[in-house]
Amino acid sequence: MNSVAGTLDTDLLGDARETPATLDAFLAQVERRAFRMAELQLRHREDAMDAVQDAMLRLVRHYRDKPAAEWAPLFWGILRRRVVDLQRRRKVRSIVVGWLGGGRDDDGDELPAWEPADPGQDPLGRLHDVQSYADMAAAVRQLPQRQREAFMLRMLEGLDVAETARAMGCSEGSVKTHLSRAMHHLRDQLEDWR
Amino acid sequence: MTSPDEHFEQRARELWHEAAQRIDPATAGRLRAARRQALEAAKAPVHRAVRWLIPTGAFAAIALAAMMVWQPLPQHHATTAMHTSGTIDDLDSELPPDADKTDPNLYQNLDFYGWLASTDSHTATR
Repeated sequence: MNSVAGTLDTDLLGDARETPATLDAFLAQVERRAFRMAELQLRHREDAMDAVQDAMLRLVRHYRDKPAAEWAPLFWGILRRRVVDLQRRRKVRSIVVGWLGGGRDDDGDELPAWEPADPGQDPLGRLHDVQSYADMAAAVRQLPQRQREAFMLRMLEGLDVAETARAMGCSEGSVKTHLSRAMHHLRDQLEDWR
Repeated sequence: MTSPDEHFEQRARELWHEAAQRIDPATAGRLRAARRQALEAAKAPVHRAVRWLIPTGAFAAIALAAMMVWQPLPQHHATTAMHTSGTIDDLDSELPPDADKTDPNLYQNLDFYGWLASTDSHTATR
């Protein structure tokens, strides 16, 4: 765990850890990563866009007067809750569709997923690191929800333990536990990176 | 020289940031628009009429429900009052009761009741 804490403060985080002067600058700084985070968890670009848009709106509307240093944990906390809400809503919708017999056609064959096709599912195919990112994303998706959140906020987004705990709505000890388990799982899954 | 764990963490973060930068222009444009929209929405003051719409509507609904519940009560109360006052009038009145409100047996056995009343009065005087 110490290695995790130690390397997070390296130069790699760079501008991601600088506190922006305005809310506009802060949102501009995080909006793309927020979209990636929501997309990775929801696996749906439109839902991810909705989640990010809603998180932006709520942050600006309710927390714009907060100190700039608090924006990051507040924003990621709002986004996290929005993602969880969308996941729950999607689950309920799937259950209802299942009850109504919407999962099969007249011949009894299973219908395609109710969600519309996502045209931009793989726009990055030309780039060299796409496969590596896809592998990492797939491994992260396999993590339990809380481990996934801890890994993404603490490791990828670079929040400190206290900020991650605040964004996740749990104790700092829980963050460390979730992150430790997540790292253990990911190291096993992504053995080729070593 | 970095340890394998550090390399792993560094690699994950690099990919993460690269992936964020590789977002297609259309999505990036939508994100920018969403940001501007959020900032504009916060600048625009919430209209007072809109702010009061929900509480006013709720109050109106409660008032309507209360009126519907309470409206029959005055009638019931009036009927009860009339009935009560009639009873009091009956008790206080020294006039004999109306024939249609009285037991017909009373009129058929008037002689008996007269004798009974006189017997009671005799007993009371003794």
